[in-house]
Amino acid sequence: MKRRSAIKQLFILAGGIAIATSCTGDRKKSSIALSKVDFSKADEDLLGELVESIIPETDSPGAKALNLHLFVMKMVDDCHSLEDQTVFVEGLKKAKSVKGKSPQEIQQYLSSLGNEDKFFSILKRRTIMGYQNSEYVMKNKIIYELVPGRYDGAVKVSS
Amino acid sequence: MAFLNIDSQKDRTYDAIVVGSGISGGWSAKELCERGLKTLVLERGRDVQHIKDYPTTNMYPWEFEHRNEMPYQIKQDNPVVSKCYAFHEDAAHFFVKDKEHPYIQEKPFDWIRGYQVGGKSLLWARQTQRWSDFDFEGPARDSFAVDWPIRYADLKPWYDHVERFAGIAGDKDGLPELPDGEFLPGYPLNVVEKYFKQAVEKKYTNRKVISARCAHISQPQPIHIQQGRTQCQNRTLCQRGCPFGGYFSSNASTLPWAAKTGNLTLRPDSVVHSILYDEQKGRAIGVRVIDRNTKEEIDFYAKVIFVNAAAINTNLILLNSISNRFPNGLGNDSDTLGKYVAFHNYSARIYAEYEGLLDYKVEGRNPAGGAYIPRFRNLHTQETDYLRGYAAGFGAYRSSHSDTSGLGEDLKNSLLNPKLGNWGVGSHMMGETIPKASNYVALDVDKKDEWGIPLLKISIDYDENDEKMKKDYLDTMEEMFVNVGFTNIRRNDSWQAPGLDIHEMGGVRMGLDPKTSMLNKWNQLHAVPNVFVTDGAAMTSTSTQNPSLTYMAFSARSVDFAVSELRKQNI
Repeated sequence: MKRRSAIKQLFILAGGIAIATSCTGDRKKSSIALSKVDFSKADEDLLGELVESIIPETDSPGAKALNLHLFVMKMVDDCHSLEDQTVFVEGLKKAKSVKGKSPQEIQQYLSSLGNEDKFFSILKRRTIMGYQNSEYVMKNKIIYELVPGRYDGAVKVSS
Repeated sequence: MAFLNIDSQKDRTYDAIVVGSGISGGWSAKELCERGLKTLVLERGRDVQHIKDYPTTNMYPWEFEHRNEMPYQIKQDNPVVSKCYAFHEDAAHFFVKDKEHPYIQEKPFDWIRGYQVGGKSLLWARQTQRWSDFDFEGPARDSFAVDWPIRYADLKPWYDHVERFAGIAGDKDGLPELPDGEFLPGYPLNVVEKYFKQAVEKKYTNRKVISARCAHISQPQPIHIQQGRTQCQNRTLCQRGCPFGGYFSSNASTLPWAAKTGNLTLRPDSVVHSILYDEQKGRAIGVRVIDRNTKEEIDFYAKVIFVNAAAINTNLILLNSISNRFPNGLGNDSDTLGKYVAFHNYSARIYAEYEGLLDYKVEGRNPAGGAYIPRFRNLHTQETDYLRGYAAGFGAYRSSHSDTSGLGEDLKNSLLNPKLGNWGVGSHMMGETIPKASNYVALDVDKKDEWGIPLLKISIDYDENDEKMKKDYLDTMEEMFVNVGFTNIRRNDSWQAPGLDIHEMGGVRMGLDPKTSMLNKWNQLHAVPNVFVTDGAAMTSTSTQNPSLTYMAFSARSVDFAVSELRKQNI
């Protein structure tokens, strides 16, 4: 029940990204407003499968439920050079070959690209960044303290 | 605060004008208002009120659109300010963007500015180490710049005064090179910093490792409660503005205190063009302002003027205050105005790991940042082939890491179960640089900003002394790191441009002789006795200590003198 309500909250706000909920009738546009990169709804759905294969749902939400595909789009749009954006869009185009495939097959595809692959490294880095900085993880898993109110410089590590 | 009616000259006349509302201007204003002077504070930027105008202060990481990372285009458009360690989504609104306020870099200089009420006091790193006679006697002993017209004893009561009010956490370490003060309890070193301290002090008798002294309320006293401030909550999100008033800023402390006297008028959006000089009277009569928004030119008048615009802008204002008597800038009989600008050499760091004490970790956050190593080089006698020395920061941290090599459930497990690694340790140098006539700021003859004020040219560089000192810092720290058993030692020689230290000083230096300096021992222009400069511009030399606390002490001391001179009708 706890998890459910957490997930529900996350649908409302993907970490500062307001998701357009209104029905424009235009099914092809991505569901968040972007200024530079023209991701389509199909791109967004594919990204959803890719990020979910990187961080899948287990007994806790996976990347898709945390809207990390939208976060990746937002970061590629705002925090990368035109060169990076072009490489990313190209990489995403190629990844269409795994659309609808099983998570294992998608993982295999991504692994086969290798860590040197720019598309894969941006995708993975931004997915991890979004996950570690997500409200869900910071509130439920690795607790972020806004107001620690203390500093202890010699805490015994419990083994 | 009074409502501004600028129709008549009488309504634009005050007892005192303070130019700038940052760390030194806030102190000048507080001290003037407390002594009953109707005081106008002119701030070129927008108003920022304590708490109310800290929009990001209570935001969680996930609430930032880009999780605190600055967007690519903003970084491209602002190459200078983007180099600053604190320029992120949570505090970007307190920094000047490069294009808003251009300047001319004859040599690379990263000029980091905060144009708003409170200035950079909202953003500073809050390190507050007193200067000592090893600093004030430096130029005379080592034959550079000019002799300081004061010694530590002149400033000591004023350090006491400002420390009690601001709230300074620190230990009494009994070091003549870093005098003790009126401290709140210091923030203890962590277990590895303590280990380093013990190992270093055992091996090297003249080297000390102490808890860094900082402007944080570790234990509030009645004077802090009266300011509406309370205990630091160890957030270390200070650059956003602190809702607890846990660290000292003009916004949380001196400005509201000054306002409470009923004597303060604060006028934001007031870009100071120049100081008005009356040749008949032989004194300054006021300040010319260009309204930031309307571009309207308005003159304000006062008996005494404190220039606290931050080091380089104070130079700019004096250089732009031209009269028949002072064709080269106000009070510039010595032709030293704008020259002998110096800074702190922050261009080297060193990192390592420690594989011991792995049964310990830290919890919470340390607002002091860790340890401080006071200057030990060339302290009592000249030992090296370069002049002066460096202080150093030192910190140990132990964070958890996740293996991010996998994908899928393995990766997720790893991310949710980070493992404690070795301790990480790091140090950065804070080197004294030698003020020289060739390191200067000057007005451009053609280019002006949108308020009609000449653009500033900055021509400041490192020299051979700085290079030698940096090499010694890196060699010495590396040797210390090896000796205490640190591993994986990495030297980082950034050669970052001057300016990024944000400790630019000088250009309006103090001195005994009006022929070779701008200000006397009271921070008073030798040639214009009712104008005082008590910010970084006044510094004759730079020492190795963070300078803000010294600006505060100079401001309070100088106001005390100015008001007594006013009462005696000497100015």
